[in-house]
Amino acid sequence: MRSLRSNGAIMSVLIAKGLTKRYGGVLALDDASLTLNAGEVLGLLGANGSGKSTLSSILAGDRMPDHGSIEVNGAPLNPGSPKAARAAGIAIAHQHPGLAPDLPVWENVFLGAERCRTARFLDKPRTREHALRLLEGLRPGWNVDAPAGNLTAADQQLVEIARALALEPRILILDEPTAALAAAEVDSLMRVVRSLTARGTAVVFISHRMAEIESLCDRVMVLRNGRPVGELPVGGQLDEPRVLELMGGVACGAAAAHVHDGKRDAAQQRLSHGQAVIAMSVRGLRAGARLRGVDLELKRGEILGIAGLQGHGQEELLDALAGFRVPDGGEVRLAGPAGARTIVPRSPRQMIAAGVCLVPNDRHRQGLWLDHSVEFNLAQVDVNFEASPWRLRRAPIRRFVDDVVARLRIKTSDVRQPVRDLSGGNQQKVVIGRWLNRQVDVLLLSDPTKGVDVIARKDIYEAIGALARAGTAVLVYASDTEELLAVCDRLVVMYEGRIVAQLEGDEMNESRVTSALFGRSAA
Amino acid sequence: MKAHLREGLPEARAWPVKRIGSGLKATSARAASALPALVMLLAVIVCNAWLQPDFLTADSLASNMQNAAPVILICMAQAVVVLMGELDLSVGAGISLVNCVLAATPGLMGWGTGATCLAGLAAALLAGACNGFLVGYARQSALIATFATGAVWFGCALLLMPQPGGTVPDALGEWFAARIGVIPVAALPVLAAVVIWAVLQRHRFGRRLIATGSNADAMFKVGVDVRLVKLLGYMLAWLFVFAAAVCLSAQTASGDARLGLSYTLNSVAAVVIGGISLTGGRGSMLGAICGALVLALIGNVVYFAGIPSNYQEVFKGAVIVIALGFTFVGAKKRA
Repeated sequence: MRSLRSNGAIMSVLIAKGLTKRYGGVLALDDASLTLNAGEVLGLLGANGSGKSTLSSILAGDRMPDHGSIEVNGAPLNPGSPKAARAAGIAIAHQHPGLAPDLPVWENVFLGAERCRTARFLDKPRTREHALRLLEGLRPGWNVDAPAGNLTAADQQLVEIARALALEPRILILDEPTAALAAAEVDSLMRVVRSLTARGTAVVFISHRMAEIESLCDRVMVLRNGRPVGELPVGGQLDEPRVLELMGGVACGAAAAHVHDGKRDAAQQRLSHGQAVIAMSVRGLRAGARLRGVDLELKRGEILGIAGLQGHGQEELLDALAGFRVPDGGEVRLAGPAGARTIVPRSPRQMIAAGVCLVPNDRHRQGLWLDHSVEFNLAQVDVNFEASPWRLRRAPIRRFVDDVVARLRIKTSDVRQPVRDLSGGNQQKVVIGRWLNRQVDVLLLSDPTKGVDVIARKDIYEAIGALARAGTAVLVYASDTEELLAVCDRLVVMYEGRIVAQLEGDEMNESRVTSALFGRSAA
Repeated sequence: MKAHLREGLPEARAWPVKRIGSGLKATSARAASALPALVMLLAVIVCNAWLQPDFLTADSLASNMQNAAPVILICMAQAVVVLMGELDLSVGAGISLVNCVLAATPGLMGWGTGATCLAGLAAALLAGACNGFLVGYARQSALIATFATGAVWFGCALLLMPQPGGTVPDALGEWFAARIGVIPVAALPVLAAVVIWAVLQRHRFGRRLIATGSNADAMFKVGVDVRLVKLLGYMLAWLFVFAAAVCLSAQTASGDARLGLSYTLNSVAAVVIGGISLTGGRGSMLGAICGALVLALIGNVVYFAGIPSNYQEVFKGAVIVIALGFTFVGAKKRA
């Protein structure tokens, strides 16, 4: 333990008891308690949706707990007030940076904690220099006068971190600070954290990367379904199997193996198809600041994965290919029954007609009519059903809907049930099922298993595999690299709007992907 | 600042030239959003000068300034609110309310010019605080809340002045029509508003106002009382509404509850022409002022171009549509 001790006793700077938070019907945090000692780094571990972010945002005052109390240095903290939390010395760097995009970087670092001269006039030179110095400590080379909205995702994350450091906190909460960062920036962050703990600051560190937890944390707490299920000392080494078991990782591992088996079968089937036919080739596709020239070839019956950190252009690439977003330049060549032709994506309608269909990233906003029935969501006349001139032909629609529900194992009591009442996994199946009735040459999927449990994940990838076996070319982006490695035939890695690596066969492994994710050629 | 943080801090005044340069760059980036409006303003001025030979004489400029001052001020008021990420559909009714207070109090209470103006200012700030409270603290949608309060302000104006009439203190009108050298007095309220805004841009409150428009959720999370920022922002806007009402009342010299109503949507149009994003945070006051001047001068152009009076409104509307087109083309290029 590297904890700072006073008279041999560990000083607890923060004691939280019985924190509970419910969102609608979901219990996000269930009677969670936590003690934080001066000078220690506490790692918070848990699967997605286990309550890590809810817990940290309650500690930071961003959210009001339903029950529970927080004490800082023995004094009760007024819950649900970021102002009170900051006054008590708590600072948080959120997982998703909350910047004012129109304000310059230096102002963003000191947002809400502006350094002022008399009568609250801003002390611009001092604030600007201070912001610059905090940022340079994390990564050299900043233009602090640029609007924060122009920064890359990684730089925005660094500004968010610098904002927390600017408060000179006694309790620092870092919510997945490293997910978007490159290795050098992670190293600088660790250096900064260590120098803070040496001065007695307590740190809560959330990360999915075991290596970071191992090297930085004194202690970890594991959350599962909103409950703390165990605490382990780290001391330079982490009992990883034990942590995975606590997180519920055994089940996850089994499911991944299942998907893997499915993949092998699929690959064999497709190999027997013989030579590969190019279904779509993309040349120099550009759109906005996030998509800076992508070349891509997609073969029939192939599952091609796109890996990338958030905000590096994957979503924009899929949106552009689907006609959601008109590209600034580049061309798309499609092989159709009538021979190859070059088209510029202009609208979703045009691309659907050309056989390119998208399963969008945000299924609630872009993929579903939540208050309408499963049937309504699956079969839309003029989208995936031919319109007949005078009347709606119900019988083929009903046949199709029943078939999709059975094939994708959509759990629904009745096809007239509103989609809102379905679980996330089943909702996602509905979005995918929409494209099962027509000739889809190219299926684009943007993070199809986001917020989907392991069982439904398996069903979804089985359905995708079946489509690929039937000859559809599949292009899938998923935020989970392991999942991509398990289901894809080939993998491309995007970094800052370009493809920086193409991996096949034995090259497809975690380390190659990870180094490419941060813009370094796979060495 | 604690000692350990001061280590390695470069001397604050080491590179003054570089700092001025970077400041200019930031300023020009903000001003870029006002560029289409600035170009349009120049075009309108050129047309005006061409159609109306005496446009550039001191007398003509003074009279144009008198006409434009209330428009500019009301557009500045709207710009403050829109930059904050909200909207105010009651500013026009606010002009009416203040106008009726100015016209009715001398008769009702027998007050002098100063006290009458203070009564008008109090009414404006109270109404602004009310809007700010509804939007900031009661979390009402600005669109609906200010639409509703606008009806209330108009109703209050009607109660004070059921029929047009009354007398605004004479001193106001005389003062407003005067000139100091070549500078028309009508320009002074506008100048004062511009100075207030410019000073606020160096003040914590002014920056928090813009930051709230840019990302209100982030402001809450860094511990800023967003509700208070909105309340104060609305009150600042209504200070400008008061100034606009005084300028307009000085010209009409009497009270009329319907005086200001047409100004509301004009102010929104001017703000958009000026390149300020309706989602808040983005844009500059310079743009709003240019937009306001374009709107104020278009009427002149149409009149002096000899377009039949029945077609004037059609023409004016078409020009606004074209102006908005320019603004959006400019905004898209920058994005």
